[in-house]
Formats: sequence, structure tokens, C-alpha cells
Amino acid sequence: MRWPAILAALLWATALWAQDDPDPRLVRAADEVALAYIVTGDAEVDAATEAGLRGLSQVLTARTTVEPGGPIGIDPEQDDLSLLTFLYWPVTEAQAPPSPQAYVRLNHFLRSGGMILFDTRDGDIAGLGGPDGGAALQALAAPLDIPPLAPIPSDHVLTRSYYLLGDFPGRYQGREVWAEAPPAGAEAAEGVPFRNLNDGVSPVVIGGNAWAEAWAVNENGLPMFSIGSGFEGERQREMAYRFGVNLIMYVLTGNYKSDQVHVPALLERLRQEEVVQ
Amino acid sequence: MSGLTFDPLLPWPLVAALAVLALLVALWSLWRGLRGWAWRGIAGLAAAAALAGPALESGIRSKLSDIVILLDDRSASQALPGRGEQTDAAVEELTRQLSALPDTEIRRVTVADDPDGTQIGTALTRALAAEPQTRVAGVIAVTDGLAHDAPMVPASASAPVHVLLTGQAGDWDRRLVIEEAPAYGLIGKPVTIRLRVEDQGAVPPEVAQTPARLRILLDGEEMRALDLPPGVALDLPVVPKHAGQNVVSIAFEPPEAEVPELTDRNNSAAVQIQGVRDRLRVLLVSGAPHAGERTWRNLLKSDANVDLIHFTILRPPDKMDGVPVDEMSLIAFPTQELFMERIRDFDLIIFDRYRVRGILLPQYYDNIRRYVEEGGAILVSAGPEMSSVESLNLSPLGAILPARPTGRVYDEPYLPRLTEEGQRHPVTAGLPGAPAEGSESHWGRWLRMSQVIPDPRAQVVLSGARDEPLLLLSRVGEGRVAMLTSDQVWLWGRGFEGGGPQLELLRRISHWSMQEPELEEEALLADVGGDLTVTITRRTMNVTAGPVRITRPDGETEEVALAEAGPGRFTARWTAPGPGLYRLADGDITRVLALGPAAPREFEETVASGAVLGPLAEATQGAVLRLSDGMPGLRTVREGRPAHGQGVGGPWIAITPREAASVSGMTHRPLLPGWAWLALIAGLALAGWLSEGRGRRTAAGG
Repeated sequence: MRWPAILAALLWATALWAQDDPDPRLVRAADEVALAYIVTGDAEVDAATEAGLRGLSQVLTARTTVEPGGPIGIDPEQDDLSLLTFLYWPVTEAQAPPSPQAYVRLNHFLRSGGMILFDTRDGDIAGLGGPDGGAALQALAAPLDIPPLAPIPSDHVLTRSYYLLGDFPGRYQGREVWAEAPPAGAEAAEGVPFRNLNDGVSPVVIGGNAWAEAWAVNENGLPMFSIGSGFEGERQREMAYRFGVNLIMYVLTGNYKSDQVHVPALLERLRQEEVVQ
Repeated sequence: MSGLTFDPLLPWPLVAALAVLALLVALWSLWRGLRGWAWRGIAGLAAAAALAGPALESGIRSKLSDIVILLDDRSASQALPGRGEQTDAAVEELTRQLSALPDTEIRRVTVADDPDGTQIGTALTRALAAEPQTRVAGVIAVTDGLAHDAPMVPASASAPVHVLLTGQAGDWDRRLVIEEAPAYGLIGKPVTIRLRVEDQGAVPPEVAQTPARLRILLDGEEMRALDLPPGVALDLPVVPKHAGQNVVSIAFEPPEAEVPELTDRNNSAAVQIQGVRDRLRVLLVSGAPHAGERTWRNLLKSDANVDLIHFTILRPPDKMDGVPVDEMSLIAFPTQELFMERIRDFDLIIFDRYRVRGILLPQYYDNIRRYVEEGGAILVSAGPEMSSVESLNLSPLGAILPARPTGRVYDEPYLPRLTEEGQRHPVTAGLPGAPAEGSESHWGRWLRMSQVIPDPRAQVVLSGARDEPLLLLSRVGEGRVAMLTSDQVWLWGRGFEGGGPQLELLRRISHWSMQEPELEEEALLADVGGDLTVTITRRTMNVTAGPVRITRPDGETEEVALAEAGPGRFTARWTAPGPGLYRLADGDITRVLALGPAAPREFEETVASGAVLGPLAEATQGAVLRLSDGMPGLRTVREGRPAHGQGVGGPWIAITPREAASVSGMTHRPLLPGWAWLALIAGLALAGWLSEGRGRRTAAGG
């Protein structure tokens, strides 16, 4: 396992030294905070993912200061991931695992502050005992440096990085979503309704709610996949968008919303020091 | 060592039996009324005694000389006027008198200066331990009594210890005592030095009434002058002005009097207070969440000295999505409070890709400008929005920014490079991996920057695409402004093309903005290594520097040339001639350096006193006398008798001859020779016979 990794690192390093002009798509990703996804090779899935990220980008542009450009499909075998911030990775059965060289890049991406959202898209069938995406996910993610995971607790910063969220629905609802486990011994500060968790950003978020399909819009801006039925379904789609917005805010601002709650206290402290002086 | 011993010729029982027999015969003769019984009894006993072999035994003794320890104090306080001559004269006289005494040896002990003061106690203990106790006849110390090792003074000695104090009866001194001084202080927050002026000795009345006029200097600049009466403690507030050594020097002029005070070396003191920065407060305002935002957060969050207050505009005022407020996690940006009321609490305000979009009112920008001019700092990390109509440059803040955008954005990869100024500037000098001539650079490229026209006063330290300015630094009023014309420093953190020293660069930019002394362009640094050796480092943006002008404590100046040690760095090593307060200057930059103790321990107290050695003298019946009252006479007394007193010719001190001797052999002499015993016994027996015979004749005649 070690030799291929070292070899891959060397190859990667030589590629860096070459100083070719970077791929213009990736340059655009760096400039515009474009959302990126892994091309699985399954045309249907890739199209849905592309449309999903386009839909999320439109929602972000419409509602927030984040204005991403169009989504970018990434081939981890060739593309330099260091210009990216967020990667959406739909898990399919047929997907061939990336080469060791690509895993070196992916691990570097995770270590340097990037995030991958793994979506097994099996929220409708998982946990029922039948075949689901778990095995494929394990096969894909095993070579990655992923910290211990835990279901996202209700006081995770992801639940309040833009909208206040209770769960994280996509096209399907109710499955647990996993992120880096909170450090042992984390405790809630006095007067704060949640623990100060995840000082950094969890490098992976794993779930099976098929978010891209919930976000997906066609050229006319209309949803491509139906969710549930009637008003309930549209509410779920709205919540899926809110999860998407929260996730991108979380990737970009980290634990910003955790210290936001301290700001009133900090300002109060400044005020008190003034009085003391 | 002499005595009677017995060396019996026959075993003791036989001798005893003979003695008993002699006594029995004598008693029997008495009972029978025989005359001459006594003579015969004595003769018998004498025979027994002769058989017991009595002998006289005695040791061969040789007398040992007495030892007198003569200690003279040659410490710095003994160098005060007149004391040296007094000491010399006393030692000479004592040596003469002691040499005249029979069987007396002198052991000279000289106490010299020690970094810890005068160590008389140690010297005494050592000298006493080196001599046999039975031979030490006396100890005479010629000193001013100012020993700094009172715990080492022996509690007692086997011979009288006399202390002859130098100095005059009229000696007096006024000194400055620092009772309490903090070693550290927060910059800008007052710390307290507690001090007082103390008078010692026979202070002339005209001086005792007058207060001391204290001059207090902070880093060589006049801070305060005040009158302080002696004996009154003063709490002096001092505000450390900068990080590192703040030297407070406090001094007063020697008071005017007929008899001058002993020394003015204890009239001043230098207190060094290490200036420490309080926690820095940084306000980070991000115009929009973007990939580089977490870079700033990580930098500022990981800095233990920084309190970060961070605001990100997550939703601009012109976008609404109809979601009820209670489902959103957004809070209002407390602009009024941050930019009007609290702005002076911040050490640095960072505008990270900030767009002017109607959130901040124009008067806030005016206020930020005032804040900078009065010593604040802002740092603009600009994305492409700087080249748009929402540029910060178009706000009232634009007047103080170090560059204005042309509106053009370069969307091309480029390598950040140090400019010539950048190689000298402490913010960028020595950044790891900087591209240099002839070496393969390993910094990664950035992909976008805005074209700007730099303000002529600004320093361009990094250049980017087509050698356009990338990082600009400038000073506005008392404050500082830094501008990065690209927002892609995060690419270094991500390791794109190998990345670069992103955290170090941002840390230096922000700390330079907050006027961290380590990052000052023009700086004069002095590192004290060893005792008095100083490494002087001059950092400058100029091509040449120096020489550094050094003003010594006595007012004389010297110049030290500097050698170039790197771009913008000039150094020299210099050894100071002695401890004290030195002032280094190169042009306008000065630095005050306190080397060694400003008031050495020797001069803390100067009026001669027997306080330390007095108890030892008393315990050994010795005397503490002032040489100024006349040289005492020297006598010898018996052990245990008072060893000092007042004679007709003045006071006297005494040593106690110890009569010590050593035994080198034994002699054994019989009490009487054999023939003498024979004559004695025969004589006694004859006397007994004669007395018996006379008695019979008398009886016959009667």
C-alpha cells in the first residue's frame, strides 16, 4: 500500500512542477466558488447531479451572498482538486474506485480544508435489509483519511449555519446523516444552547437522501424529480434547498455560526471593561 | 602530662602481702609494748614500696604559637573616599603590634568584590575552619561592616572577634530604594513602582528637612519630576509604551550639604519592565462567504493572543427569500455599535472581500478613517469587487487606502514575488521559499488579482501579474493600512502547485498592522548576551545604516559601525565598559538599554555599621570600634576575660593567648634508685634497733 502511494505522490509532485496553465474550468471554480461533483460514468446519475448542483447554485445566488458559477464535473484521476472547496460524490454500484494516485489527491483535498458530500441515494430502501449503497460507499471511501464519524447531533453548527434545521431531507427523508464525530469531552458553555463542536469543518458528510435529485432543475428552472406528494413534497424540497444552503455556508464559513452566538457576549464584555476603566 | 606510675618487681599480691606483714608486725610490736615498732613498721612498708617500683612519668611538650586572623575588607564600598587609607593604616599598625607579640602568627584574609556583594561571613567561616580552634587567639576585621551574607556569619568563635569599622562618624548618605517593581506590564495599562528615598547615618539637619527632587525617565525621555521627602513611600504609576524592555530610570541629584553624602551611585535606579501586549481584538468583516474566509478564521482563531469578532454578510439587503425569520439563523450586523461606539476597542479591522452595498453608512467609513488616523489599523483583502462600482475605494475610506483600482482584473496565473522593498520589509523578508534569482521557486501561483495604482507613499512589498502591486503597506496618521489586491492567498493553504507560507504571511501582515515591534521597518534592537556584550541589530528600509551612537552612563559617547547581515539588516557586537544605562541612537531611532544593576549592591548601603558583625563580636566578648575614634591598643588577656575595655590611652582590644602545646614523647624515671631504697630501709631498721636499744639501756639505768 505504501509504495503505490509514494509513487503517486511523486507523480503528483512532478505534475505540479510542470507549471502548465491550470484547467480554465478549475480556475473558474476557484474564482466563483463553483460547486463540483465527481463524474461517476453513469450518465443518468451525472446529469441529475449536474442539474442538482445547478439548482442549488441558483438558490444560493438568489438568496445569499454566495453566487457560485455553474457546477463542474470532476475526474479525480486528472483534475487538480486544490482549487475546489466542495465536492458532491454520488455513490453508484458500478463506479470503479479511483486509482491510488487519485486517492492521494482526494486525501490532500480533505486535509487542506475541502469537503466531500457522499450521497448513497438509497434513502428509500436503506436499512430495510436489502442491498443498498453501503457496500459501494465502503469500497469507495475506505482508502480516504476519514475521521471517526457520528450521526450529526442536533446542536451541530450545520443545523444553524444559515437556516435553522431539524433534519436534512433530500429526495428522501429521515435517514441519519453522518459527519465527523464531536470530540470527546465537548461540553456546552454556560448560557449557550449547544456544545461548541467541530472547530474545524468535517471533511465528509455522508447520507443517503439523494439531495441532488431534490435540488435538480432543468433548463427552464423547473424541478426534475418529484418529491412526495403535493404541498408536503414541495415543503420537503424547500427543506432540501435549505440543507444545501446550510451545507455550503458550513463549508465556506466553518464554525462561524458557533462564535456568532458569542458576539453579543464579547460586545458585552467590551462594554464592561469600559465601565471598569 | 606527668604522673606517678608503678612498675612492681614482684607480682602485686606478694608486694601487698609484704606490706600487710609489715603492718601486722608493727601492730604486734605495739601490743607487746616494744619500742621502735613504728620504725620497723615503716621500714617494712618502705621495703614493700621499693618492691612496687614507683616511677615518675612525664611528657615532652612543645609550645604552639597563637594565631590571629586579620581580615581586611577591600570591597567596592571600602573604596569610598578615606576608607582605603584607614584600612591600610589599621592593618599596618595591627600587623606591627601582633608581630611584636611572642609566639603569635598572623593569618591575613582579604575580602574582595563579589557579584553578590561583600562576603565577609563566608570568608570568616572559612578562615576559622582552616585553623585549629585551640590556637586561634583572636579575630580582627577591618571593614565597613557592610556584609551581604549575614546568614553566613558564624554564631560564635573560640576567640574574641573584634570589628574595626572604617568611615567617619559624620558619614551620611541619601539613597533611592525600589521597594516593589513589576517585571511585566500590559502595554498601555499603568503598573506601579513603589519607591522611597532613605536617609542613613548622621544626616545634616539642613538635608533632613529637604525632599529629594526625583527625575523619572521612561526610555530616556522625561516622564515626571517630583519632590519626595525621605522615608515616604511613593507609588509611581508607569505605563509601558511598547512591547519588550521599557526602561524606567529614576534618579535624584545629590543634596547640597557641607559634608557631601558618601556616594551618589545609589541615587538612581533603573527598572526594566517587559511590555506585554494585551489580547488583541480583531474585527473581521467578510463581504461574502468564499473559499478564503476560513483561511482568515483559522489564522485568527489559532492565535491565542487574538480575540476575534467575525461578521460575514450571509444575505445582502437586496435579497429576500420569504422564509420566516424564526426559521433563519441570521443575526443583524450591529454596525452602529461596531463602527461607531466600540471601534476603538479593536486593534485591527479586516475587510475581507467587502463590497460596499449599503450596509455601512457613509459616516461609519468616516469614523473608520478617523480610527486609523488615530492609531488604528485596517487590512483590505480585496477580490474582484474592488474593481467594481461596489469598491471600498469609492467609499470615504478610499482616501486612506494605499492604492486605487483601475477597474481591470487580471484573470491569469501569476507568481507572487518579493519586490526590492519587499526583500527588506520585515513583513515579507525571509518568507520561507520566496522566489529568488537563480533558485527554483516553490511558491504556488495565484489566479486572479486587481490592477491598482499605488499611492506614492505606500510600500509595495509583493508584486503579482505583470509586476503589478499585490501587497501594499502604508501608514496613515498614526495608524496603518495594508492591502492585498487578490483574495486568493488561500490557494497557498490548499497546496495548489505546492502552496506557500500563507499563514505566516497573513500573520505578519496583521501583526504589522497592529504595530508589533518585531515587524517594525525601522528598528534598533539590542540583545544582551553574556554579561555586557550586546548584539545590536538595525533593521531598516534604507540601503545603509549606522553608525550607532552610544551614550554611556557618564555622558560620553562612542560610535559603533554596523555591518550588513542581509537585506535591510545591519548588525554589530559591542561590549559595554561597565554596567549602567546606555542610550543607543541611529538617527531618530533610540533605544535605552540597562546593563547590569544600575545601583550595584555594594552601594545600596554605604554608611559603616556593625549591625551584621556586632552579634558575633558580642558573643565572643569582642568589640566593635570605629577607627575614626582612634586606633585601639592591643593587649593579651586570659581566656574568658573581657577582651576589650577603656584604658588610659584610649580603648583597647585583646587577644587571648591559648597556651596550646603539642606532646612529642614520654620520659620514665624511677622515684629512687635501688641503692637509695637500700639505704632508706637500712636506715629505718637501724633507727628501730637504736631506739629499742636506748630503751633497754634507759630501763637498765633506771
